[in-house]
Formats: sequence, C-alpha cells, structure tokens
Amino acid sequence: MFAAGTAAFGTLPAGKKMVIGMSQCNLGEPWRVQMNADIKKAAQKVPGLDVVFKDAQNDTLKQRAQVEEFINSGVDLLIVSPKEAAPLTPPIAEAYKKGIPVIVLDRKVLGNDYTMFIGADNKRIGLAAGRWIAKRLGGKGKIVELKGLMTSTPGQDRNSGFRQGIKGSGLQVAFEADMKWLEPDARKEMESALAVHSDVDLVYAHNDPGAHGAYLAAKAVGREKNIMFVGIDGLPQEGQAYVKQGLLEASFEYPTGGKEAVENAMKILGGKKGLPKELKLESRVFTKANIDKGGELLK
Amino acid sequence: MTKARDFFGLVFSKPWVRALSALVFVALLGIIFNAEGTFFKWSTHRDMLRQVSVYGMLACGMTLVIITSGIDLSVGSVLGLSAVLFSIATLHLAWPAWLAIAVTLLAGIACGTLSGAMIARFRMQPFVATLAMMVFARGAAKYLSGGQKVSTAVAQADGTYKYVDLPRIFSLIDHRILGDNIAVVALIFLGCVLLCWLLLAKLRWGRYLYATGGNEEAARLSGIPTGAVKLLAYGLSGMFCALAGICQAVQEQQGDPEAGTSYELTAIAMVVIGGTSLSGGRGGILFTLLGVVTIGYLEKILSINAVGEASRLMLTGIIIVAAVLFQKTKKA
Repeated sequence: MFAAGTAAFGTLPAGKKMVIGMSQCNLGEPWRVQMNADIKKAAQKVPGLDVVFKDAQNDTLKQRAQVEEFINSGVDLLIVSPKEAAPLTPPIAEAYKKGIPVIVLDRKVLGNDYTMFIGADNKRIGLAAGRWIAKRLGGKGKIVELKGLMTSTPGQDRNSGFRQGIKGSGLQVAFEADMKWLEPDARKEMESALAVHSDVDLVYAHNDPGAHGAYLAAKAVGREKNIMFVGIDGLPQEGQAYVKQGLLEASFEYPTGGKEAVENAMKILGGKKGLPKELKLESRVFTKANIDKGGELLK
Repeated sequence: MTKARDFFGLVFSKPWVRALSALVFVALLGIIFNAEGTFFKWSTHRDMLRQVSVYGMLACGMTLVIITSGIDLSVGSVLGLSAVLFSIATLHLAWPAWLAIAVTLLAGIACGTLSGAMIARFRMQPFVATLAMMVFARGAAKYLSGGQKVSTAVAQADGTYKYVDLPRIFSLIDHRILGDNIAVVALIFLGCVLLCWLLLAKLRWGRYLYATGGNEEAARLSGIPTGAVKLLAYGLSGMFCALAGICQAVQEQQGDPEAGTSYELTAIAMVVIGGTSLSGGRGGILFTLLGVVTIGYLEKILSINAVGEASRLMLTGIIIVAAVLFQKTKKA
C-alpha cells in the first residue's frame, strides 16, 4: 500500500555501515508497532544501514535511560518518539550537543536542541473530520462522539478540532463518552447510546478500534445500516481494512512518520544542509471510493 | 421496638441479604437515574448481562481461588493470551472451531495449573506466583501476535493484506437466542456459575476447597490433598480465563494482545462485593453472581446517563467500600 515510494532513500558510501538508534515510548499500541514497522521497512532499503529498536514500555525514566544508552554506544543518529516532553528534553539535548543528530517523532520535546521534529497534527485531523462529516450529512444530524482518553493530548485535540469543524452546521452531538481508546469500552458506550437515542446518524470515534466497536454494537441490534461510522488513525490492518470491508464510512489517517524519519535521517547523515526544523506530516482520508487508490490527501 | 431490631438483626446477619442489599441499592440508582426510561427497557438488562459476562467468568475462577485463601492476578493476561491463541487458530490457521476451542482451553488450564504448581509444590505465595504468570502470559500474547491485533486482515509476505471471512463460530457465540432474549456469552457465564456451584455445594472437592482455605494445616492433617486442591482451583481459574478469552475475541472479532488488561481488579472487586472474604474459607459462587450483577448494573447506569470518566471512577470506589462495609456490620 505504501509501496509508491520504492525509490531508494539514498545510499551510504560503499562498504560503510551506520547505526540508527530508535527509542519507542511504548509498543502496547498498534499504531506505534506500525511506526516501528515503517521505520524497519524503510531502513531495509538502504544497504549498510542498521536500526536498533528499544521499547520503553510507557515508562518515561526507562526511555530516558535508553536514550543515554544510545549516546554511550555511539549511534550515528537517534530517532526518539518520546512519551513526555520535559523529562526527555535533557537527554535528547545531550545527544544533540555531542554531535549525534536527533529526529523527534510524533510528540515534541522542549527547546531547540534537536535536529528535526516530524509529526502530524491531531487538531487539524479532527477539524478535517468535522468538516467532512458535516458535508457528508448535509449539515444536519445526530452524532455520537466516542472519545479517546480525555486526559491525553491526542484525545483533547481530536475532540476540540472536531467541535470546531462542525461549528455552525446543524450537527448535534447527542451522546458523548470516553472509551479510553479501547474497543470493548467503545462497544459498551455505544450500546448505551443506542438504548437512549433511537435516531443516531453517525458515530465519530477518536480511533478506528472505537469506531469498529461502535459498529459491532449497532450490528448486534440490527441498526448498523442506518448509521455511519467514522474513525481516526487509518492503519492498514485496522481503519483501512474496515473501510475496505464496508464497515466504516471513512477513516482519517494519523501518519506514523516512520518512512519520513528514515528519509530525512539519510539526508542528515549525507550532510545535506537547509533541512527544515519541523516537518508537518500530510494526512489522508480513506473512503470506500478512494481506498483502492490509496486514499486522498487532506487539504 | 426491640422485636423489630431483632428481626432486622436476624435478617441482616444472613450473608445473602447483605450481598443483595448492594444490588438493591444500585438498582434504586437505576430507577432514579433511568435516562429517560432506558433503564426500564428489557434490552438494557439483557445487554448488561452480556457485557458483564466476560468479567463474570474471571470472577468465577477468582472465587474458587479466593476460597482456598489464594488470589489469581493472572486472569486478565491469560484472557488476552487465550483471545490471541483462539484468533490465530481460527482466523489465520483456519482450524476447525472445536480444535481451536480445545487448544485454547488447554492453554488456559496449563497456565492456571502452572501457577497452582508453583504455589502448591514450591510454596510460592499466590500473589507472587500469579503476578509472574500475569507478566508472562501478557508477554506470550504479545509475542504470538507480534504486538498487533489478530484480525480478519491477514498480513501477507509482500506487505499487502488478505481479508478472510469471519468463521461461523464467531457469530454462533456472539449472538442472542431464546427469542432474542439472552446472549450466548451470558449463557456461557451462567454455565460457569452452575459448574462452580455444583463443585462448591455438591461435591466433596468443593468442601476440600473451603477446608484448605479455612485452615490449611488442619485440612492437611485430616487427609485432604491440599496441593491437589490448589491445582484444581487455579487450573479451573485458567480454564474460565480461556473461556472468557474466547468470548472476548468473538465479540471484538479479533484477538487483541492487550485484551483483559486490569480485568483482574474488576474480578476481585466483584468477588469481594458479593461477600466472599479475601482471607479464604468462606463465601460462595452465588454471592459472586450478585457481585457481578451489581458491578454490571453500576457500569450500565453510569453509561446510559453518560456520566464522565472521573465521576465514574470515584462512584465505583465509593460503592465498593460501601458494599464491603455493609457486609462487615454483623447486626443492625
């Protein structure tokens, strides 16, 4: 699916070997497993490039220690997808000052002591989803919003962006609940929404598993045909698969940036100058109509 | 006056009355906060029973283990491992349903028996042995699934995805029967309750469980094979986890390696609210059934009223404490 960019990312001088250290904050989420897979896949296209992966298991201090280990082992470049900004800022700055280029992925750190930040914008994706949904429903309808963990920034941004996107339209959020990114919870909450409201038009879930859980809840009472389901993330084996199977009306991609990280790592290692400090990732929307063409870029 | 007090004292000294009162209290909450009449619809109660069934199966095993004065922290992880195993077998390997179920049940029993063996044979504390199993089984679930959900989208060698149809066993279990009135999953849970009831109330080995939990030394001296009793309790707990894992997988239509995370705490809360004492030797499966339904209703009522997450957690904590305190008051 992502095979479009098979062109080499660049090459290392013949016979030269280089090592990238990748510190992932948590491999408990499919999206982050996908990020690592994207990095691995991209790196395999460069002969002589080796990537060492470390998983901090959602522990900030463990991640800090792992970054320090990478510095000590003398990797040529660091990719860090940090769990939290403040505690990871000092070790990343230390690597940067020692001359190890650092690419920060998905979540930012404080200050300027890193080489490049690559990430997507949840608020923009939520906003695009809101506008898309308002258009799809012709400006009016009853919505169920199944929110991700509302103490997390992605949950907050996907909520506030969406609310901004539907502002001024006749859409009404009739039922909202925090499903904590979890599919079984989404199914439970959706069952309640269906019991209370007999006329739901669309479910906006902050991730695809949530939308899928809502779909299963509606299917159990024979109402899945009258309701549209929209999710976020667009992973190949989740959101894209659900759209392809006709379960979801749309899935909005939250790109992992894994491929872009390796691309830019090669430019940095090749000594290229004038690279941007911050790279905003483009996001795509997958619908039944465009899924076979690889989705459509959001404007 | 004293007569009335004696009467209430007598009634409330009965454990089942105390277990029931928590449920009645929660039901009253539902009647008051009925979300525009939603609480009075039969489908709300039917769905509640289905939602709580997976937890209920874990609570069944937990009851047996707690009666032997043990604890099983591994139930959530073994559920996750079972969900992954069952999904790989049915979705990726296309095994027949009976074989997939048999292998998953055996794996669950093996996990439980292994914990039991560490406790009975090597005298490890149940907390430690099952903590180790909790971590190990979660690791095994992640290893087997590669950290991704095992779903109908099967990754091919070239990075594309092949979509397989959902095997019939999924819709057979995630389905309602008896005139659309009860979920098969709920029936499986009630079957587990019945099995535990038969064991605890009717069979000699059930009395052995109580005796082992009440006073292990005395039980051993009177000829009860306490080691085998523990193997039985933990082995059955593992089997119930495997059943719960299968039910979780068919309802999610996939095997999520993270499934069941922190479910052990809910299962323990259900057992405790029912009135089975954590110190062992006392309690029963019907009390657990009351505890399961109490938590089920509480979650349902909070959900249909769209109560925020923060208030939900605080209310659940308060209800657990209130229910257990209430059980402690011997007489009115």
